[in-house]
Amino acid sequence: MTDWLSALFALLVFPGFGFLFVCALAFQWIDRKVAARLQGRIGPPWFQPLADFIKLMAKEDLLPTGAHEWACAALPMVSLATVLTAALYIPVGGWVTSAFEGDLIVVLFLLSIPALAYFLAGWLSVSVYSVVGGSRSLLQYFAYEVPFLMALSGPAILSGSWSIARIAAQQSETVWMALVQPLGFLLAIVGLIGKLKRSPFDIPKAKSEIVAGPLTEFSGRKLALWHLTLHMQTVVGIFLLVNLFLGGPGIGLAVPAALIFGVKVLLILLALSVASVLYARLRIDQLASLGWRVLAPLALAQMLTIIWIGVG
Amino acid sequence: MNVDLILEALRKTFPAETIEVRAMPVNETFVTLPPACIRPAAQVLVEQLNLRHLSAITGQDTGSEIELLYHFWDGRGLTLRASLPREEPHIATLTDLIPGAAFYEREVCEMLGVTFEGHPDPRALLLPDDWDGEAPLRQQPSPTPAAPRHPLPLPTLGEGGG
Amino acid sequence: MTRMTIPIGPQHPALKEPLSFLLTVEGERIVESVLRMGYVHRGIERICQNRNYVQNVHVVERVCGICSHIHTTTYCQGVEALLGLEVPPRALCLRTLLCELERIHSHLLWMGVLAELIGFTTIFMYAWRDREIVLDIMEELSGGRVAHAVNVIGGVRIDLDAEMSHSILVRLDELERQIETLLGVIQHERTFRARTRGVGHLSAEQVRRYCVVGPTARASGVDVDLRRDAPYAAYDQLDFRVITAEEGDVWARTMVRLLETIESLHLCRQLLAELPQGALTVRAPRRVPPGEVVSRGEAPRGELVYYIRSDGSDKPARVKIRTPTLTTLITLPDQLRDVNTADVPAVLAGVDLCIACADR
Repeated sequence: MTDWLSALFALLVFPGFGFLFVCALAFQWIDRKVAARLQGRIGPPWFQPLADFIKLMAKEDLLPTGAHEWACAALPMVSLATVLTAALYIPVGGWVTSAFEGDLIVVLFLLSIPALAYFLAGWLSVSVYSVVGGSRSLLQYFAYEVPFLMALSGPAILSGSWSIARIAAQQSETVWMALVQPLGFLLAIVGLIGKLKRSPFDIPKAKSEIVAGPLTEFSGRKLALWHLTLHMQTVVGIFLLVNLFLGGPGIGLAVPAALIFGVKVLLILLALSVASVLYARLRIDQLASLGWRVLAPLALAQMLTIIWIGVG
Repeated sequence: MNVDLILEALRKTFPAETIEVRAMPVNETFVTLPPACIRPAAQVLVEQLNLRHLSAITGQDTGSEIELLYHFWDGRGLTLRASLPREEPHIATLTDLIPGAAFYEREVCEMLGVTFEGHPDPRALLLPDDWDGEAPLRQQPSPTPAAPRHPLPLPTLGEGGG
Repeated sequence: MTRMTIPIGPQHPALKEPLSFLLTVEGERIVESVLRMGYVHRGIERICQNRNYVQNVHVVERVCGICSHIHTTTYCQGVEALLGLEVPPRALCLRTLLCELERIHSHLLWMGVLAELIGFTTIFMYAWRDREIVLDIMEELSGGRVAHAVNVIGGVRIDLDAEMSHSILVRLDELERQIETLLGVIQHERTFRARTRGVGHLSAEQVRRYCVVGPTARASGVDVDLRRDAPYAAYDQLDFRVITAEEGDVWARTMVRLLETIESLHLCRQLLAELPQGALTVRAPRRVPPGEVVSRGEAPRGELVYYIRSDGSDKPARVKIRTPTLTTLITLPDQLRDVNTADVPAVLAGVDLCIACADR
C-alpha cells in the first residue's frame, strides 16, 4: 500500500509533475527576467508564466481545415509524457527516484521524442508556415543532436557507468566532469540551446519569417501543453547537465544537497539566458554548417580524448 | 545639368516642332512637347545625355485635357509636359528605357485612365480589386473606364501541406 | 523539387504595414515573387484637392508617421514658392532642426526593426530606447512625438530658448555615445554580419535603372543627396558629409544609415549653435496665385517630390506626391530572386519600407 502511495507521490508531486510544473514556471520567469534586464527592460512579474499558462488553457482551440485533428491533439500530450518520464530517472538534489544501468540512454531517447513530435505537429497542421518550420526543425535536430549525444557520452565513458545517478555520485568522490572535459561541457550547453530551440537557435519558430513555425496553427489548450513541454524540457535538460557535468549535489562541504544543486542549476540557467540575448538568429544553413563542421568534429575529438584517457 | 545643352538636343531631335520652354519654381525647367515626342525625347535624355533619373510622372485632369508631366532630375529639374485628349488618352511607355517608370505609369493609368502602350504589367497599383468606379483623379464623371483589373490569386488551403 | 507559395502579408510579423508578397519557393530558395500594394491607400492626393492650402498642411503630415515633418516641409516650401514668400532665417533653421531630428529617429527606428527581424532582439531594445531621447526632444519642442505640426505656410509655429537649446545639446551628446556603442556592436558582431552581408544586393547600375533614391542608393555607391545637391531650408549654410558605401547589400545600408545618424547629430549641433534671431513666420495670403511648382526634399528614405498646381483659388488644383519608398519597392522582386527564405525579412527591412508613404 505504501509502495503505491509513494509511487503516486513521486509521479504526481515530487519529483514528478507538481515539482516539475513549479520548476518550469520558475525557470521561465528567471530566464525572462534576466534577458529583460540585459536588454534594458524591467521584465515580467513572478506570476507571469502562471498567468500565461492559465490564459492559454482558457482560450479557443481550433485547427485549420485539413489538419489531422486527433494527431494534433495527441502530439502535445505524448511529448509532455515523454519529458515527464525522462525526469523520473534524473536525480534531483541527490534524491534518486529510479535508476538502473543504462538509464542515460533511455533518457536521451525519451528526450528526443519531443523533437520528432514538433516536426509532426508542423507537418500535420498543414499550413505553409508550419510545414516550412517543421522541415527546418528536423534539419536543426540533425545539426545539434549528434554533437549533443557525443558530448553527453563523455561522462559516461569516463566514469564507466551508464546510470545517471551513479555518474553524479562518482563525481563527489573524484572531480567534476566539467573540469576534466570542459569542451564536452561547452558542447553539451550549445547542444541544449539547440534542443530547446532557444535563441540563437530558435530557427524553427523564427517569428519574423514563418510566423511561429510548426506551432503556428495551435492555440488554446494544445498550445499551453506545447509550451509546458518546452519549459519542462528546459528543466529536465538543465538537471541532466548538472548531474552529468557538475557533480549533482556534491561539493564536499557540509551544506544541504538541495541548496548546492539549486545553485548549480541556476548557474546553467543564467548561462542559457545570457547566451539568448547576445546573438542574432542564425540561418538554418548556417546552423547546419556550424553543427557539422565545428560542433561534431569537436565532440568527436573530445570523445576520442576521453576514450584514450580512460583506456590508458 | 546643362539646360541649354538639353534644349539644343531636343530642338535638334524635333526640328519641326515649336518647343515651349518655361522656368518654374523651384529650380525647374518645363518643356512642352506633343505626346508622340515624349518617348523620343526620353530616349535622347537617357541615351545621349545620360539623364536617367525620373523622379515622378504626374497626371492631372485640367478640365479640357489630360496633362502628363515627366519630372527628371540631375542637379536641376527638367519636366516634360504632354497634353492628351480626355477621351481614350494613350501614350507610349518609357519602361524599356527607364524601368523605374513602371510604377509611376501604373498609377497614372489607374487614377486617370491613361493607357501606356507597351507597358509590361499594366495592373492597378493602389486601387482595390473590387473598384468599379471611375478613375479617381478625373474631374467629373467621364466615360473612360478605370485600369484593367488583374487581381492576384491567393493561395488556397491545403496547398502548402502536401 | 516541388514549388510552394508562401504568402508574406498583408499581415505578417515581418511587416510593420500591410503589403503583400507571394513568394514561390523551391526548398529554401525563392524563385519568383509578386508584389501587391495599396492596402493603406487613402486617396491623399484627391483629398488635397478638396481642402484649402492650410488644411492640406495637416493632411500631408498624415501621409506617414515616421517622416511627417519632411512632408509638411516640402509642401510648405512649394506653396511658399508659389506665393513668392521669403521665410525668415530663424524659421528655416528650426525647420531644418526638426528635419534632422526626424532623420535620427527614423534611422534608429529602422535599426531596431532590422535587428528584430533577424532575431537580434537586444539591438532592437537598445535602438528604440535610444530613440526615446529624440522623441522626448521633439515632444518638448512641438508637443507631439511623431506628428509635430511644426510647419505653417510662411514659417514655423514653435520656438526655443537658450535653456531648451542647452538641454537638447546635452541629450544629443548622450545619444551620440549610445549610437557609437551601437555602431561598435554592429561592426564587430559576427552573427549580425553573417545575416546581412551579401544579402539583398543591388548594383549601381540597377539603382540607376530603377531610379532608386536615398540611403539604399547611397549604399550602392550612387552619390546623391538633395541636401547637398539642391539645398533647401537652411542646408546651404551647413557643413556635412554625404555617406556612401560600395557593397550594396543590407550590411552597407546599415552602415550608411548609422553614420548618417551621426552626421545628423553634428548638423543639429551646428543649427543650435548658429540659430539666427528674428521672426518665426511671414504672413501668407489664403489665395494662391495661379502657377505650378515642383518642390523636393530629402526624406530619411530619399528624395521626396511634390508637384503643386494652383488655379488662383484657396484650394490646390493638383497635389502630386512621390515618396521615396516607391522607388525601392520596385527593386524588391529583383532583390528577392534566388534569395534564401530566411533572408527575406532582412531584405525587406534593409530597404526601409514605409508603406503608408508609398500607398498614400
